[in-house]
Amino acid sequence: MAGGLFGPPQTVSKEAGGLNTAIGYFYHEDTFKNDTDHLIRQNQVYSQVAYGAKNMWEIYGRIGVSDLKISDCFNSTNASTTTNKLNFEENWKFFGTLGAKGFYPVNKIFGIGTFIQGTYHFSNYTDSVAGSNNGTPYTADLKIKNLWDINFGIGFQLTVPLGIKLYAGPYVYYSEAKASLDTNIPGIEYVAGNVSIRNKSIAGGFAGVDIPLFKGFHLNVEGQYADRFSAGAAISYTY
Amino acid sequence: MKSYLSLALLCAFLAVGCAHSQRPSSAVATQPGLEPKTVLLAADSGQQATYAQVKPKTQSVNDDENLDYAEDTFKEERVEIADPIEPFNRAMYHFNDKLYFWALKPVAQGYKVVVPEPARISVKNFFSNLGFPVRFLSCLLQADFSGAASEFGRFGINTIWGVGGLLDPSSNKELDLQKQETDLGQTLGVYGVGHGFYIVWPVLGPSSPRDTVDIAGDYFLYPVSYVYPWYAGIGVRAYEMVNSTSLRIGDYESLQEAAIDPYVALRDAYIQSRLKKVKARKARSLVFKAEETSAPAADTALPNK
Repeated sequence: MAGGLFGPPQTVSKEAGGLNTAIGYFYHEDTFKNDTDHLIRQNQVYSQVAYGAKNMWEIYGRIGVSDLKISDCFNSTNASTTTNKLNFEENWKFFGTLGAKGFYPVNKIFGIGTFIQGTYHFSNYTDSVAGSNNGTPYTADLKIKNLWDINFGIGFQLTVPLGIKLYAGPYVYYSEAKASLDTNIPGIEYVAGNVSIRNKSIAGGFAGVDIPLFKGFHLNVEGQYADRFSAGAAISYTY
Repeated sequence: MKSYLSLALLCAFLAVGCAHSQRPSSAVATQPGLEPKTVLLAADSGQQATYAQVKPKTQSVNDDENLDYAEDTFKEERVEIADPIEPFNRAMYHFNDKLYFWALKPVAQGYKVVVPEPARISVKNFFSNLGFPVRFLSCLLQADFSGAASEFGRFGINTIWGVGGLLDPSSNKELDLQKQETDLGQTLGVYGVGHGFYIVWPVLGPSSPRDTVDIAGDYFLYPVSYVYPWYAGIGVRAYEMVNSTSLRIGDYESLQEAAIDPYVALRDAYIQSRLKKVKARKARSLVFKAEETSAPAADTALPNK
């Protein structure tokens, strides 16, 4: 789970030092595990401010909104319990991301860099489920709280003609959230009290391209693969 | 002896001045120290700075060309506006003056000490970005479609890549989308509506019946007006005013020191500034540009007798 793209290992800020800003969209999929595995999907839209210098380092912050969908979250394993839906779904909630990256240019074309990026979702994601248990109707709210992640990776970058940067590399990550159902419902996996859910895989790979457009704008397209495939794009502006 | 000399000089001045031409003197304009300078005279309602052309009074005027220049400048400077409610206006002027020196300036000075300039400029950019609806609509109403497009582009770029308008990437030399300094009062001016008379509003500052339309328009088109509850909106406006003042402390004081009657100086500067802005807007208009060349504007400045 990542709060947006990792971006090229080398900053797009001016060599003398300066800001760059971006707006990005990221479609994210991952598998979280508790007793059973659940597919998680998120659509993230964010705005980024970054400061970099010397073509070697950059720090950045993002603020954005994200939805959350967890598949088969309300699936009942008890024949006497029915539910009106299977998936947990919640709309836009705020999240924030902080990151830093460093880059070492081996030569004019090739370079290697590293990054660390962490994300925290400020708001709880909540969805309600209704149904009946032994003929008795019920409703319950499931809260996904304190969703956060941290990512660390190494990127290899090739700068080709027209200033286009191609990059790829491995990364490791950890992601966690607390799930809490306000009422115990027999047959539903989540129970009252906080239950930790976390990512199933811990490592993946990413690859992307950064294309200079015009008048200081750049297009960044990136894909990430851990347990599932995620992808996104961002348009940045260099001051 | 001195009085005779002065009289002779006055006669010579009048004689030469009667035969002046409209030709601008480039020779004088390029002389260092004699260029007309734009100085900040005052600010109305904490948002718009008022500027006027001031001729430096360093060198004596001793040839024909210099006299031509002096007369042209003189003619341009003196603009009249009716001031039938001058006692009220003077009272409001003094109220605003005290408001500035007793409340606004001390708060702005403290704020300036605490908040670094880049942050204050970012706040100014943010509020300026919120003023997009007034400027965009004014450009459209003035048939200045390139200005409207520029404003639209600025708003989009500054909101998205300027972090909600805190930064102003549109003004960078690569993009070069300059802010259109216009409002609904200027729009009426472009349509040929005259100033009317001079009026000083408490807190808001110098205005005229025509430009008061802008105050009303600004209220309805400025998003801060819709901040709920009402006192939160007033708080935001007050903060905007303090931030804006913190970036130009000293300008108003300079006007006061330079003017014999600051009230008159402020009034003249305001009216001249508005007149110039309306002329500039007309020059950009696809429709009213032609009208201006064929007929004089209703808002034409009148030289003082």
